Amino acid sequence: MTQLQTKYFGTVSCEQSELFEFPLGLPAFEQEKTFAPLDLPGTGPLLFLQSTTRADLCFLCFPILVVDPHYQLSISPEDLNVLDLDSGRQPRIGNEVLVLALLSIQQDHPATANLMAPVVVNPRNRRAVQAIRCDATYSHQHAIPGVAEVQPC
Amino acid sequence: MLVLRRRAGEALLIGDNIEIEFLELSGQAVKIGIKAPRHVSILRKELQITKAQNQAAAQTVELAQVTKSLPNIRC
Repeated sequence: MTQLQTKYFGTVSCEQSELFEFPLGLPAFEQEKTFAPLDLPGTGPLLFLQSTTRADLCFLCFPILVVDPHYQLSISPEDLNVLDLDSGRQPRIGNEVLVLALLSIQQDHPATANLMAPVVVNPRNRRAVQAIRCDATYSHQHAIPGVAEVQPC
Repeated sequence: MLVLRRRAGEALLIGDNIEIEFLELSGQAVKIGIKAPRHVSILRKELQITKAQNQAAAQTVELAQVTKSLPNIRC
């Protein structure tokens, strides 16, 4: 167990073995190599990716299939090598890799998810990479319907 | 935007000291070679977009705003 200073929840404890290791960091945050995935009871699929070295750095994310149930991966061979996965084929979301979409939440704007550059984690070795797609299939600002837009059943 | 048609093996010059050569065309992809001075930064556009998007995503949000922006989430 290690104690972690977090952006949103004060000090929390987490197991070293639960941390995600980003050998390359994330673009714009290349020095941040280790993040703790934190979830809260009641926040459903929402996950907080908290840097272990910078308390003020925490990303909010959703499992990508929550945002788009039909999402198709396109991870480069270089990124698959970082994850220590077979670079000859795309892994399966769920049983082979955890795939997260980083969220942008701003006042008076709909929340958006970055489907162009998802965070991909190999659960077997906890290695992670932000896998930037080379194609234009998905948006880096995919709108998530807000409460107001959700139609009642 | 200036639009030009070039074949594999042909090149373009930008200013006095940047040369872009179109090395190989295959299916949807084009392989290019760039000669430019060291101080000229060359970035894949999607990397630049990702950096900006990550900076936006790292902004502090009130957890109350999360509840407001996302359906079915209560913080």
